[in-house]
Amino acid sequence: MASVSESDDLFDCILMADDRFHVEGYREGYEEGTREGLLEGRNHGMVHGARLSAELSFYHGFAVTWKYLLQTNVDAKSKKRLKAVESLIGLISKFPFEDSQYENLQEDTERVRAKFRQVCSLLNVTADFRDYVSGSATMSF
Amino acid sequence: MKDTLDLVHRFNAHPDSRCWFVAWNPRGTLLASCGGDRAIRIWGKEGDSWECKCVLSDGHQRTVRKVAWSPCGNYLASASFDATTCIWKKNNNDFESLTVLEGHENEVKCVAWAPSGNLLATCSRDKSVWVWEVDEEDEYECVSVVNSHTQDVKHVVWHPTQELLASASYDNTVCIYKEEDDDWEVRATLEGHTSTVWSLAFDPNGQRLASCSDDRTVKIWKECQPGDGDSAEGTWKCVCTLSGFHDRTIYDIAWCRLTGALATACGDDGVRIFKEDATSDPDQPIFSLSAHVPRAHSQDINCVAWHPKEAGLLATCSDNGEIGIWKYKSEE
Repeated sequence: MASVSESDDLFDCILMADDRFHVEGYREGYEEGTREGLLEGRNHGMVHGARLSAELSFYHGFAVTWKYLLQTNVDAKSKKRLKAVESLIGLISKFPFEDSQYENLQEDTERVRAKFRQVCSLLNVTADFRDYVSGSATMSF
Repeated sequence: MKDTLDLVHRFNAHPDSRCWFVAWNPRGTLLASCGGDRAIRIWGKEGDSWECKCVLSDGHQRTVRKVAWSPCGNYLASASFDATTCIWKKNNNDFESLTVLEGHENEVKCVAWAPSGNLLATCSRDKSVWVWEVDEEDEYECVSVVNSHTQDVKHVVWHPTQELLASASYDNTVCIYKEEDDDWEVRATLEGHTSTVWSLAFDPNGQRLASCSDDRTVKIWKECQPGDGDSAEGTWKCVCTLSGFHDRTIYDIAWCRLTGALATACGDDGVRIFKEDATSDPDQPIFSLSAHVPRAHSQDINCVAWHPKEAGLLATCSDNGEIGIWKYKSEE
């Protein structure tokens, strides 16, 4: 009886090979895919995170410089401008740079961009982040 | 349909070009038009005909999409595809360019004055809405930039009495804004249209807002009042949808301050007038088509504008460059 059983196993081995390799191949492929996807995702996040940080840091530097330039002026117009500049600084300082899962990231980024544009209009300067960093014109999430 | 809409005048306002928009001055003595020829024309009635009183042709480099009179009637604002908004000051019978508002990244699609005359709103293909403040010295300052839409913003309109702003977009939504801590913020987003929302109009007392769309419908929205059950104050709900009346995109809508009649400008070249059933529930209003001129112009109709003083007088303009003046007579 033992030989019958052995031959059963032997045939099983051959007959089921297709299935077995399929399962093994799937598992290996899955692991490989997971590893590569993780790497790709990490790079993608790094690139976009760096771009976003560069953009917001650009606004921050812009705002801090203008705050320094305006803060000694006492006329009404400068005060109005200073208020807008400070509001921009406020928005950036509240920005959750550490929280990569932050759900309102897009909304808050748009808010900072809008404030920056208003400040530029008030200061009568044309500054566009995209002019300073090439390739970021396609920055979208 | 027992009411009538009869043509009074028809004239070629922007030859070999499109006429995009017409606006009556607050007293109703002048009609401003703008078009693809980059010009703004000011029209006045002389005896029995309409004469061009003035041409403002040196303000813009590209199509002038919309024009708006200030509530005092002394200023005219023009929005252009050249990314700028011009402010013109009226001096007797002439206009001088007062200032150019820059800031939008590309085509400015619409401009509107707040009822106080101290605020101006502009919107653009760059997806943003800008609010500008005017001071005593005719200086304009941007008080807010709002990125609330995800696509091209087609139209902005102010509430007739409050400082409340509404915008319509290619993203199929309407946004309502209010000032909050020096910034203009979105108070409500009106979702319901299934395609581009082209234009908006408040009813005479500002309780309702009409929107018209590429989805061939008109929707009437009403602000929820405190005590309206579970809806929070400041939210708007759709109380009426007019569908099945229009065969193509509805480009513009106007709510008459004097008669309450609603006019639409359609891509099927027709002009339609709707009247509200006076006995219907304000929360479920019923509008019926009361007049329809199927081929009011030979091409798309871009704008409808009710005369501010003379009840029933309506101006329309079309892709063929013409302006039409119509008289709407309602049999009560």
